Amino acid sequence: MTDIVKLILDLLVFPGGLFAIFFGLFLIGIDRKIAARLQRRIGPPIYQPFIDLVKLIRKEMVVPDTAHVQAFRLAPLLGFAGMMAAVLLIPITGVYQGFGHSGDLLVLLYLLSLPAIALMIGGSASSSPFGAIGFSREMVMMMSYELPLLLVLVTVALKVGLATGGIATFSLSEIVQFQLENGALLFDYTMLPALLAFLVFIPGNMGVVPFDIPEAETEIVEGPILEYSGAGLALFKLMTSLKMVVVLGLAITLFFPTPMGENFLLNLLWFFLKCLVLMVISITVVRTSTGRVRMDQAFKFYLKYPTVLALISLILTLLQG
Amino acid sequence: MSTYTIPVGPLHVALEEPMYFRVQVEGETIVGLDITAGHVHRGMEFLVMRRNIYQNITLTERLCSLCSNNHPFTYCMALEKIAGIEIPERAEYLRVIADEIKRIASNLFNAAMLAHIIGFDSLFMHVMEIREIVQDTKETIYGNRMDLAANCIGGVKYDLSDEKIKYLMKQIDRLKKPLEEIIDIYINNKFVRARTEGVGILPKEEAIRYGVVGPVARGSGIDYDVRVKSPYAAYDKIKFNVHVENGCDVRARAIVRLREIQEAINIIEQCLKKLPNGPTCIDYLPEIPAGEAVAKSEAPRGELIYYLRTNGTDMPERLKWRVPTYMNWEALNVMMPGNKVSDIPLIISSIDPCISCTER
Repeated sequence: MTDIVKLILDLLVFPGGLFAIFFGLFLIGIDRKIAARLQRRIGPPIYQPFIDLVKLIRKEMVVPDTAHVQAFRLAPLLGFAGMMAAVLLIPITGVYQGFGHSGDLLVLLYLLSLPAIALMIGGSASSSPFGAIGFSREMVMMMSYELPLLLVLVTVALKVGLATGGIATFSLSEIVQFQLENGALLFDYTMLPALLAFLVFIPGNMGVVPFDIPEAETEIVEGPILEYSGAGLALFKLMTSLKMVVVLGLAITLFFPTPMGENFLLNLLWFFLKCLVLMVISITVVRTSTGRVRMDQAFKFYLKYPTVLALISLILTLLQG
Repeated sequence: MSTYTIPVGPLHVALEEPMYFRVQVEGETIVGLDITAGHVHRGMEFLVMRRNIYQNITLTERLCSLCSNNHPFTYCMALEKIAGIEIPERAEYLRVIADEIKRIASNLFNAAMLAHIIGFDSLFMHVMEIREIVQDTKETIYGNRMDLAANCIGGVKYDLSDEKIKYLMKQIDRLKKPLEEIIDIYINNKFVRARTEGVGILPKEEAIRYGVVGPVARGSGIDYDVRVKSPYAAYDKIKFNVHVENGCDVRARAIVRLREIQEAINIIEQCLKKLPNGPTCIDYLPEIPAGEAVAKSEAPRGELIYYLRTNGTDMPERLKWRVPTYMNWEALNVMMPGNKVSDIPLIISSIDPCISCTER
């Protein structure tokens, strides 16, 4: 019984649920502020995403007459729920163990594709031509970044698995445990290409410039989420902020989970700091220093660079093992 | 693959003004285009006939925001032709200066829009920041940031004191270095290049067939500039180059516009150096006899033609103008097909459409 209570608390309060939402929105607020400063703007206050969310929730949700109502209403819920579950799997070393079982890395891989699928369903259910274009672009985008992601995950799993005597370990807690004993994978030269591949995967998955093609504002006016308003839009915003936590948290778990002593709060702060640095490197700086690429260019780019980088790591790992 | 239609506009984030394009798309490739105009029709041609010739200077200035100086400029030239007024030499130079300052601001705005459309918002902010130097200059010298109110019949309404000349020189010097930087970005930056090169191609033959004007023509290798072909004001006394690109694509048109800014700076500098002394305007209120005249000038977007007929009263009998966008937007039918959906706003913005001039 207490297990279930703890699970529900984990899911709804900490580290999932409320805490993760707060964490993600806070990161997005900081991201917007830093991006604004990089562009010599003042930028919105850091709490802007919070008040935006409150405003959206209080507004009416308009469903277009021609839309498929159930699919249109359920799509944001699907994405949001998927990310709520995914946050639960991300361990914060020294703070939270993770809802870990042996295959949680694979579960996470599936959950990570849910936001894109939710956007696709929402976009096509909205019956707007921009939604339809957004649907096809989202699908191509997903196909381009999923392959390098899969390769990176397999590489890490093999690395840890081979070193601990098995074949491949798809358990996040074992991966963390291995790094706590043998040093973080960040400092392992064979894993550097994989790390780079993951860094390139982040802006694609988060849908920021130069890879915000499915939602390109000036081209297809936000694409899939064009018709959303009120609570539906708020859920999509929440989904994005949770996805931020999941993606950054996954990167930290895979490459640099090293904690900062024993203190609970200190470790939490350390995790936040790592997330912040990773976000600035892989999202803020990238999106302020580039322009949007075309779909075909993005697809070719993902097929060329991150995939090859991840393959190099995979081969190096296999050779070592 | 089935063909379907995407509506772009009348209100669209990438269009500054209302314009409706129905784009036929096959997958992500454009196959056809349907332009619907008429969303900002304000009945200006009728209004002109209800106001006297002096009030019309103010009215024509409000036709459009970005090329606002060219309209009263050309209107005044037409009036002066009818009345046979010789304007003072100093006024000719001052008119050129006002025109070129507006050209710099207009072309920088279009360059910034290109960056915004390809999602390169840092570049957009950067270019707009440079444009702010020009806006400040306009405010200091003319008192306004958009409509300069520089022209009147027989001359100009403003004068440049030595102090203002010094200030203008200084402001223009401040533009040079950042301008070099952004031109380098627009030509060489990988992201800008990947999006603009080979997009929206308008071959030279088609450009001639459609009779495009301004930077669109010069980006397709046509060496046509009203300032050189039929000089007006002080342009025959100034040496400058007309920049022509042979790329025929969005990139070529952007480069032409940016190079024209450099040329405009050159022109202003020459004007300030050569600026003769004397009055800035004729010292009497002219009588406008019955007659008709055509005047043309090179607006930032291309050739602007005014036809004016007067009947001896203080109201014009007919005022008709042909704006550059009218010639350029038909050419979209050639530029669009074969490109991707993501390039629609980019190609539209590359002709720098001024809808409120065109539909007035």
